Amino acid sequence: MDRDFLTTAPISRRRLLAGGALTGVAVFLAACGTKGTAATPVPSAPVAATGAPGTATGAPATAGATSAPSAVAVSPSAELNWANWTYYMDVDPNDQTKHPSLDGFTAKYGTKVHYQEVIDGNDEFVAKISDALKAGKDSGWDLITLTDWMAAKLIRRGWIETLDTANVPNLVANLKDVYRNLSWDPDNSHHAPWRSGTTGIGFNVDVTGDVSSLGVLFAVDPKTKGKVEYLTEMRDAIGLSMLYLGLDPAKPTRADCDAAVALMQKAKADGVIRDVKGQSYTTDLTSGDAVVAMAWSGDMPSAKVDNPSLRYNLATEGGMLWTDNLMIPKGAAHKGTAELLINYYYDPVVNAQLTLGVDYISPVKGTDELVIKANPDDATNPMLIPPPDWIARLHIFGELSEADEIYFNAQFAKVIGVG
Amino acid sequence: MGVWLKRHSWIVPYALLAPGMIWLTVFYVYPGIQMFIASFWSGTLETGFTFSLDNYTNYTAALEQFAPYYGRSIVYAAAATLLTFLIAYPLAYTIATKGGAQKNLLLFLVVAPFFTSFLLRTIAWKIILSEHGPVLGPLIALGLVPPDFRLLATPIAVISGITYNFLPFMTLPIYVAIEKVDGRLVEAAKDLYAGPWRPGGGIVGGIVGGILGGVLGVIFGWSWPVLALASAAAGAIVGWFLVSESFVRITFPLSLPGVLAGSLLTFIPAIGDYVNAEYLGNPDARMIGNVIQNKFLTQNDYPTAAALSFMLMAGVLVVVAVYARVLGTEDVTTGRL
Repeated sequence: MDRDFLTTAPISRRRLLAGGALTGVAVFLAACGTKGTAATPVPSAPVAATGAPGTATGAPATAGATSAPSAVAVSPSAELNWANWTYYMDVDPNDQTKHPSLDGFTAKYGTKVHYQEVIDGNDEFVAKISDALKAGKDSGWDLITLTDWMAAKLIRRGWIETLDTANVPNLVANLKDVYRNLSWDPDNSHHAPWRSGTTGIGFNVDVTGDVSSLGVLFAVDPKTKGKVEYLTEMRDAIGLSMLYLGLDPAKPTRADCDAAVALMQKAKADGVIRDVKGQSYTTDLTSGDAVVAMAWSGDMPSAKVDNPSLRYNLATEGGMLWTDNLMIPKGAAHKGTAELLINYYYDPVVNAQLTLGVDYISPVKGTDELVIKANPDDATNPMLIPPPDWIARLHIFGELSEADEIYFNAQFAKVIGVG
Repeated sequence: MGVWLKRHSWIVPYALLAPGMIWLTVFYVYPGIQMFIASFWSGTLETGFTFSLDNYTNYTAALEQFAPYYGRSIVYAAAATLLTFLIAYPLAYTIATKGGAQKNLLLFLVVAPFFTSFLLRTIAWKIILSEHGPVLGPLIALGLVPPDFRLLATPIAVISGITYNFLPFMTLPIYVAIEKVDGRLVEAAKDLYAGPWRPGGGIVGGIVGGILGGVLGVIFGWSWPVLALASAAAGAIVGWFLVSESFVRITFPLSLPGVLAGSLLTFIPAIGDYVNAEYLGNPDARMIGNVIQNKFLTQNDYPTAAALSFMLMAGVLVVVAVYARVLGTEDVTTGRL
């Protein structure tokens, strides 16, 4: 925690940036992110004039700040707006409203973070901000946290700011290798993985006993009839259905989609399903109104606080693996500070603090070791460190062409009850 | 200024209309036109949309696929309107005629829920209707209700939610209409032997109650004969003891404009509502509003969503136009019948 990246490492990098301004900041940044050595340092003050758009109001323009030789890279803004999902932040055991790791950021930089758990589903959230992003306007958020496929889509549409690598040295250094070289953002210049998790079965062990097969989601059983819930995330719901049918979610075809939808529709007609929901499935599980659900791994340990009978399992047929990613939407008012926050969380010490409270997989190197040191039991916690037999059963939903995605969504709308 | 205004007095009505006209033009007419244009688009969000009149097929295709959702929305909205009427009329009548000094307080209580957000009120109903909530929880625990019975995630919950959320829109117009009824007319009627209405009230009450109960039973999918009998009995008791001829001949007819205004204020927003169906319903109880929302926000299928919205709007306009034609908007605006 005592490492202060602002005053140590990035000085040479800042100079590099200044030099880059002569040839074009964007091009140079890209080169800098992967190689970062070739350019000759050229002292140059007036770079500030080319400051990144969108940073003009809140924080001083990043490029401008970096040109001042001894100043910090970014002067933190007074506030930062961050949209995230629920159960994605450590909470103080004595005060549910406090987030120790986030409070640490505020203590360090003086930034008041408006941390809001407003994301209930990728599509719903993006729909709310897409008009602003399309118009290149401030969406009101400085940081958004969205799943891979949506992240890929937004980056493809040019709606995401390029990260200033000088401001996120921890990301550059500490990102686990498995997250690098992804087809949709090979140099990690637009996204920073926040958490990974799996989609499997959440269940109330008092009612169902131990559950290991996806069949419980589809079969008629008097114990669970009318108390089963599916996720509105199309890839999770179709993915699990495909796995139950023995299909491969990594290579989804329209025929697979039809089969998966037919399976879910049959369960619905049989009265198995209570509802199809976003994140709020957890409230139905905790209240007891639902007893089995398609669930996101880390939610169950958190929901257990309210209902000790809740369990999570990755089915024998398999489960889905996904990552939610931090991104800075185009036109964000506090881009520089958002980068500070990304960098802050890519410090393994901070990330360990977060990971100890969250129950999702950390993408930061060095974190797992610290977590295990603090809490040896976590070495065998599959939510944090999936064992090899889980990894063998995990699948990432394959990329869909736009036409296929439209087809899948239209078919899946039938399951939600709107198609 | 005064002289100028006198000379140009024609300008006054236009000046008074201007704010409303501008507001509606900017926030209703303009988006309406945009939506109409969008309903003739084809394409996708990423490839871009193109306009062509040939895309009128957006309408036919949407209607073909989603007609059942329009039907369900009409049924739910009509059921909710009927329920709000049944609840609001006695409420408004009591406040208007027996409210006395507490009248303002009672009216305040009617609108008090509006101080909380629409969404929060709806989500609160999730807690109330939950199998483990304060209503069903004890009933299930006592064995009075089968353990697999549920209210939440059913059409009943959706209709109940709409009924609750729109109750003030029905109550206030009826209250105003009853309040305006000249008490001397009622007194005069009573002098002319328009007293308690027996057995007419009992018979009519029984018939009306029976029909209403039966219809609601069919909509809710409950055993309608039981519900019809029960509500026939309730209606007969109410008719026998509470309904006088002066009410039937004076107060009720004079309050009808309030009932009709309240019905419109309830039915029109209820038919397009999606919040109640989203939070209190389930896949078998979604309304056309949910379809439009999903088309817009999840599938980004703007053309179909626009066509669906436009048909909903046109349908509601037709209903209102027919209503105005048959019953006359005069009654709503002047309070005369």
